[in-house]
Amino acid sequence: MIEVNPQDYDIVLKIKDESDIAVSRQMAKNFAQKMNFSLADVTKIATAVSELARNIYRYAKEGYIYIREKEAGPEKAITIEILACDEGPGIENVELAVSGGYTTSERSLGLGLAGIRRLMDSFHIESEVGKGTAVIVEKRRHAY
Amino acid sequence: MKSKVVPTIKLYDYLLVPIQIELDDNTVERLQMQILHEIHENDVRGIIIDVSMVDVIDSYISFVLSETAGMAKAMGCHTVICGIQPQVALTLAQMGIRLKDIITARSLEDAIDILDELD
Ligand SMILES: Nc1ncnc2c1ncn2[C@@H]1O[C@H](COP(=O)(O)OP(=O)(O)OP(=O)(O)O)[C@@H](O)[C@H]1O
Ligand SMILES: [Mg+2]
Repeated sequence: MIEVNPQDYDIVLKIKDESDIAVSRQMAKNFAQKMNFSLADVTKIATAVSELARNIYRYAKEGYIYIREKEAGPEKAITIEILACDEGPGIENVELAVSGGYTTSERSLGLGLAGIRRLMDSFHIESEVGKGTAVIVEKRRHAY
Repeated sequence: MKSKVVPTIKLYDYLLVPIQIELDDNTVERLQMQILHEIHENDVRGIIIDVSMVDVIDSYISFVLSETAGMAKAMGCHTVICGIQPQVALTLAQMGIRLKDIITARSLEDAIDILDELD
């Protein structure tokens, strides 16, 4: 899938237990707060990380979430980048999974990926059946 | 029943559930069991879930809250959620998440008024 060098990131979270979902959500929240995102954006970022961590735990059993601060675009906007990757079963129909309302879980809305896409400024997903899944999202810090 | 996840308060015929802990998946599921158990035990006619201390509500938490409200409804009980933080409401709306079977109120007082009206 994607080559990742953990040293390039500010935070590396291993997702393995259910409790790691809440931990990663809190870590993302603290990091976004330190980066001076608005309260609304801190909440969106923490919610997106919660969704990504749960998908890893639920579908791939384990994986990693990497978070870093970077500058993006010609205007060098302060940006948070989140990469979630796993070597789980992968997604058969990525387009369908991202469209919203599709789920292979019994007790779910199927709005995780579709929701993340709407909450963040950029959304990129790569998935291969039998190999794994990687989701990269970014959010720029706006002047406020 | 096992130990309570959240201490609850009986208020008139209503059960007030103030959530003051981090809602991980296990907690939210145990909370559902607790609420259903308390409706059954205490002759509750309405549930008020206060989420003013909750700073992230994601897709699964939303699902379980709605599912709980649906089950409560089957037991003759309305569910009102109050104190939802503006940025949490914004995030849910943007994600396209609707809290099915749940009435939303601005404050605890409003929640009580709404339940009184429904009876
Ligand atoms: N990391 C992953 N590995 C394998 N399959 C995945 C992964 N993430 C998502 N999927 C698949 O994509 C579907 C849609 O995911 P999404 O997060 O949008 O909804 P959900 O997890 O089913 O429900 P919700 O997130 O609303 O609780 C899942 O049901 C699952 O089949
Ligand atoms: Mg999901």
